[in-house]
Amino acid sequence: MLGYLLGIPLMILLAVLQSSVVSEITLLEGQLDLILVTTVAWSLAGRSKDAMVLGLIGGLLLDLLSGMPFGSTAIIYVGVLFLTSLLEGQFWGGHLLLPPAITLLASLLVYSYQLGMLYILGRQVSLAYALPRVVLPSTLLNILFALPVYHLLTSLFHRLFPAEVQI
Amino acid sequence: MNRLRQRTFLAIALILVAIGFLILSVAGFLQPVETTILRPVSGVQTWIAVRYNAIRDLLRSPSDITELRQENARLEAEVARLQQEIINLREQATEAEILAALLNYARSQPDNRYTAANVIGRDVSPFLRSIWIGAGSEQDIAQGMPVVTERGLVGRVAEVFATTARIQLITDPEASVNVEFQTSRADGSLSAQLSGELWVELIPQDVEILVNELVLTSGLGGNFPADIPIGSVLSVRRRDVDIFQQAVIEPSVSFTDLDIVLVITNFQPLPFDQVQ
Repeated sequence: MLGYLLGIPLMILLAVLQSSVVSEITLLEGQLDLILVTTVAWSLAGRSKDAMVLGLIGGLLLDLLSGMPFGSTAIIYVGVLFLTSLLEGQFWGGHLLLPPAITLLASLLVYSYQLGMLYILGRQVSLAYALPRVVLPSTLLNILFALPVYHLLTSLFHRLFPAEVQI
Repeated sequence: MNRLRQRTFLAIALILVAIGFLILSVAGFLQPVETTILRPVSGVQTWIAVRYNAIRDLLRSPSDITELRQENARLEAEVARLQQEIINLREQATEAEILAALLNYARSQPDNRYTAANVIGRDVSPFLRSIWIGAGSEQDIAQGMPVVTERGLVGRVAEVFATTARIQLITDPEASVNVEFQTSRADGSLSAQLSGELWVELIPQDVEILVNELVLTSGLGGNFPADIPIGSVLSVRRRDVDIFQQAVIEPSVSFTDLDIVLVITNFQPLPFDQVQ
């Protein structure tokens, strides 16, 4: 419950920051996806169920602040976070390179899905243009932020949710 | 195994919820809910956007030239206003000649009414080119209304909520504007490329388009009022084998630095879907 109390206002704040601030700071035409990076890190930090619910809420908020159909981003976020949750409990789950690697895969999945969605909606889509100008720069920004966000959340969770012993 | 099953059920349930929202949204049932959620969100968005813009402006200029910058901004605004006036006067003069020739002075152009609005955000999808403004249906903003700055055309209202609205920029590949060239009087259709570059297409081959010539909205099609500046001709692409020629346009509006825009509220546009 504490996870949602913390996570839902955080999702609202991140969505607003994404629209007002982050969207102005671009690399070529790519931009950091704060909600994706945060929810993936949230899941990798050991709270995968919370992360899926927050992915739904964050995705809906992003759809609200975008021209994308309401609910469309939420679908892929939940899907990606479910796949991320499958890593929970693996012995290599704490590897240093895991957050950037998973963020890389998650970003590519999300942007491919969004391009596909735009194509279905009948908008002009050019992979030759979108890949170097939008997808790869955005993915790079997401990877750069993956590790700091993961460590921030991990240390926060250690304080908020002390390790439980299952008997 | 049990945990995996739980997670799978949860993921399926959440995806079904999202699909439900998607269907309800496409059917148009979610407009009141979206409006309700966006009301507090837009408040926070405006608060952050105003402060972020102030900090951005502060960081962009050293403090000792702040006064000079303010003066410069005032003068730039004055120049822009005078340029707009010159354009209007030239347009009026050209129009007057045509009207005189046709013995038709009866045509009158109603003055535009504007509602100013802060730009509070940009589309969160990097694939779409639109902005959010802090004014909506409560300020009489309606879908399809043209949006301008003192420099020229910005776009048109694509979605309206109670306190916010989404503006589709003319640099969005889905946007299309009927335009005319100020000197050569040729008509064309402005469309944005995926790169954001603006091209005017469907220009007849027999017209000589000049570099630096101003491009204005023509008013044809009913989606924008006439004579709003869009930009100037950067280059012309003309080949004898083609039916039409193309012109590349440099927009007069800087789309990356939009802080405040004006919505023309007394213009009755065609329904947005019809234009799309």
